[in-house]
Order: sequence, then structure tokens, then C-alpha cells
Amino acid sequence: MLQIEQNNLLLEKTITELINSEDLKTVERLFTDFDFTTYHVSNLSDEKSLILVSIYVKCWNDLVKYGVESYLDSKYSKFSKFLTKTSQESGYDYSFNLDLSILKQESIEVQDELISELSNLKRNCIAAPFEQAFKRYDELAQAYANVDVYSEEVKQELSNESVLTINYRGMDESIYIKPSFDRVTVIFSTIFKDETDKIFGKVFLQEFVDARRRSVQTAPQVLYSHNEPPLDIKSSVNHHPNENQGFVTFVLFPRHLTKGDRRDNCISHIQFFRNYFHYHIKCAKAYMHSRMRFRVKEFLRVLNRAKPENLDEDGKVIENRKTASGRRFEIGRA
Amino acid sequence: MSQSLKPYLTAVRSSLTAAICLEDFSSQLVERHNRPEIEVDNTHTPELILNPMAIARNENEKVLIEPSINSVRVSIKIKQADEIEQILVHQFTRFLTSRAENFFILRRVPIKGYDISFLVTNFHTEQMLKDKLVDFIIEFMEEVDKEISEMKLFLNARARVIAEAYLTPFD
Repeated sequence: MLQIEQNNLLLEKTITELINSEDLKTVERLFTDFDFTTYHVSNLSDEKSLILVSIYVKCWNDLVKYGVESYLDSKYSKFSKFLTKTSQESGYDYSFNLDLSILKQESIEVQDELISELSNLKRNCIAAPFEQAFKRYDELAQAYANVDVYSEEVKQELSNESVLTINYRGMDESIYIKPSFDRVTVIFSTIFKDETDKIFGKVFLQEFVDARRRSVQTAPQVLYSHNEPPLDIKSSVNHHPNENQGFVTFVLFPRHLTKGDRRDNCISHIQFFRNYFHYHIKCAKAYMHSRMRFRVKEFLRVLNRAKPENLDEDGKVIENRKTASGRRFEIGRA
Repeated sequence: MSQSLKPYLTAVRSSLTAAICLEDFSSQLVERHNRPEIEVDNTHTPELILNPMAIARNENEKVLIEPSINSVRVSIKIKQADEIEQILVHQFTRFLTSRAENFFILRRVPIKGYDISFLVTNFHTEQMLKDKLVDFIIEFMEEVDKEISEMKLFLNARARVIAEAYLTPFD
């Protein structure tokens, strides 16, 4: 359980259930995902074979700027026979209309593919700006292929490259993506809610920084700055100093951006960084807690040894202790 | 056990054994009251308080023993080399003090400047064996250091595994 699953298991289960059930059922399900995402699966009007799948994403307005709608359209266009976009349900950002009667006639492979793509709906939403940034990287890489990139003008141009901002958890925590001709920089800003999280977070991030030097040489470069936004994004951060804020920078190199599976994998992996990171901080805390519980029990055992003999190791009263002749021990002070 | 820890613990052990020499003693100020004299304001009865002893291994690790006629207060400052240890010690002592009623001799709030305090009264020594009480405090001091450094090591090891597990799939 080291990695966090990218798809939404509940969504996957619900759709699978709907497809596999013999007769049509009424559904009305509401579930949540990371970063305040909400899904709603329900019947469209009274028609039981028509299912409405809606998603709410906190940062939808940012995503729209970076072409999430066209990205989703293209991503799900191969299912257009039974999965069509409809006007969004009120309170949600994007809705699909799933026609079960057609889908049930499709082959198992098509059904499985649909289920997996649909359960990755949140991943695909957040992926849109990444796709856009990576596309921009492709353009830049081509444009600057034969140019002296060390000249001042080029440097100037590159530093003016616009930064894509996704405020994926409201205004406090954001992802910034900045494409360049030989790399894409992804910066996460994150907030630590309490002091312990902050310290643990520091330890973890230090290891992220060191991991590349130590063993995983091909990994993206990781940089960490506390409280102070990195220079790349300084202009686009409306920064109000916050003691508990941290900035984590990932520098993705061309090898991570190779088109195809690797690029997709990279997108899914990096967008879950915050979830992964905070999840493991909580895990570490939970472990510490259980460890302390154990240690406290041990201490109590030691302390109970101080009680006179009528108590056993766990502090329970031993009642029927007798001498050889059958007499009981006198309990209490003489 | 390291070279300097042993004399430190030995000193604490003998001082504690000497200090825990308590008798039942009713309050001289309030009729029919019997209270741990070390915990009350003793400006009127200074004769009930003995000289406090501080035993220090270094500036970060020390023990303060404050004896009185019917009670002894033992305060321990646990080693905290860095931020992580500070947090861990804080969590650990908080965890302990919130279970103070099970520990009989544990004080809910430590003395200022120390991380954890024990209060041993004559009632405790009547119900429990004095030597074993001293054993407990000594073992506590030994184990706490060990536990804190183990937790810290564990945290680092875990962070390393987590970081590598995250960064490997990129390739």
C-alpha cells in the first residue's frame, strides 16, 4: 500500500455493478475523492438505462482556462456510442450520459476500458493543464532545437513563458507548471495544518531531495523551499507569507516527457504527489501513536512491579496464592 | 550503555533512594489536611522542605529532585537534539501525562523547564516498594531516550523508502 490508487474505486465498482446486473436498477450515489472532488451517479429522469455521471472539481475554473473540456472530449470520444457529454448537472462541473442498453451489448474489453477510463475521471481532469504544458514543451523544444539557448534574448524569452496555475485546493495550495525547451517545472505549494505535520514533512521532503542523489538517478530533480516561493513562479504567486507553507519543485526532464505511456504515467503520478505525501505523513504519525501505546503499556508493567506481590506482571490481582499447607497469604499491611 | 550514561543513572538512583524517605505528615496550617508539602506554598513552613538536588548529564539532560517531609518531586528533562526529537518528546510526554491516573506517581503537568515530572508521596511508598519505584524511574529514563532515538531513526528510514517509492515509477 505504498502507492495511492489513481482511479476512484467506488466509481469503478458502481459502474461495474450497473453493467453486470441482470435487470436495471435505480441508482443514486454520491461519493468523494481527493481534493474536494465529488462524483454523483444517478438515473437520468425515469429512464433506468440512462445513467448520469457528474463530477465536481474544486479547481474547475482554472482547468477550463487550460482546455479541460476539449481534452475530456477527446479522451472519451472513442466511447461516443454510449457515453455522451450532456449539459452539466447543477452543482457539478462536467456530466456524462451513459446509455447502459447499448453498453451492455458491447464486448467485455470495451466495457472494461470504459470502466477504467471513467474511474480515472478526476485524473483526466487534472491532466489537462499538464498535457497543455507538455505540448508547449514540445513546441519550445522544436523551436529552440538549433538556437543558442544561452544567449540573453532567449533566456529572457524563456523566463517570460507563462506559468499554468491550478488552485486545486482553494487559494492556499496550488500547482504551478512552467514549460521550457528542455524541461517542465512543476511546483506544488502545500500547507501543513499542524506543527507535527510540518516537521515530519520537512524530514520527508529532505529525503525526496536526497533520493535522487542516492539511488534513483533517473528520477526528476526535487527541490524544496520553505515559506519562500521559487524564482520561476514568484510573479504568478500571490504570496502572503505563511509559516506553514512549503514549495516543492519537480523538474521533469525530456526522458520523463517521452510521448506515449511514459508521459501519461508521469502525469498521473505527479498530480498525486500531495495526496501521497500527506497520506504518508499521517501513516507515520499513526505508527508513532501505536508505538507509544505499546511503550506506555511496558512502563505500566514496570511500575506495577513496585506493587507488593499480590499483583502479577500485568497488574492483575492474583487471588488464590496459597502456601504448601494451604494457608492463604495475608494481603495488605500487617 | 554509553560511558557517561551509567554514572549519571547511578547518581540519580542513589539520590532518589536517599530522597524517598517519607513519612505521613498532616498539614501544619490547615486542620485535618494532609497534602504533599512539596506542592504547596511553603513560605510559612520552610522547615518541611529539604534542599533540592539537580543532577545534570549535560545542559539538555538533567534531573531535579525536590524532597520534602512527605513527598518528593522528580522532574526529568529529556534529551532533545533537534526539531524532530523535540516533537517526538512532546508527543510522547503528552501521551503519558494524559494517562497519568494509571501511573499513580506521574504528575499531569511538568515543572517549568522540564519535560516530565513525578510526584511520589508517602501514600505511594506505603503501597509500593520503594526500590521498585526507583527502578521504575531509572528504567523510564533509559527507555525514553532509546524510544525517542528509535522513533527518529524509523521516521528517517520511512521517509527514505517513501521518497524512493515515489520517484522510481517516473522512469
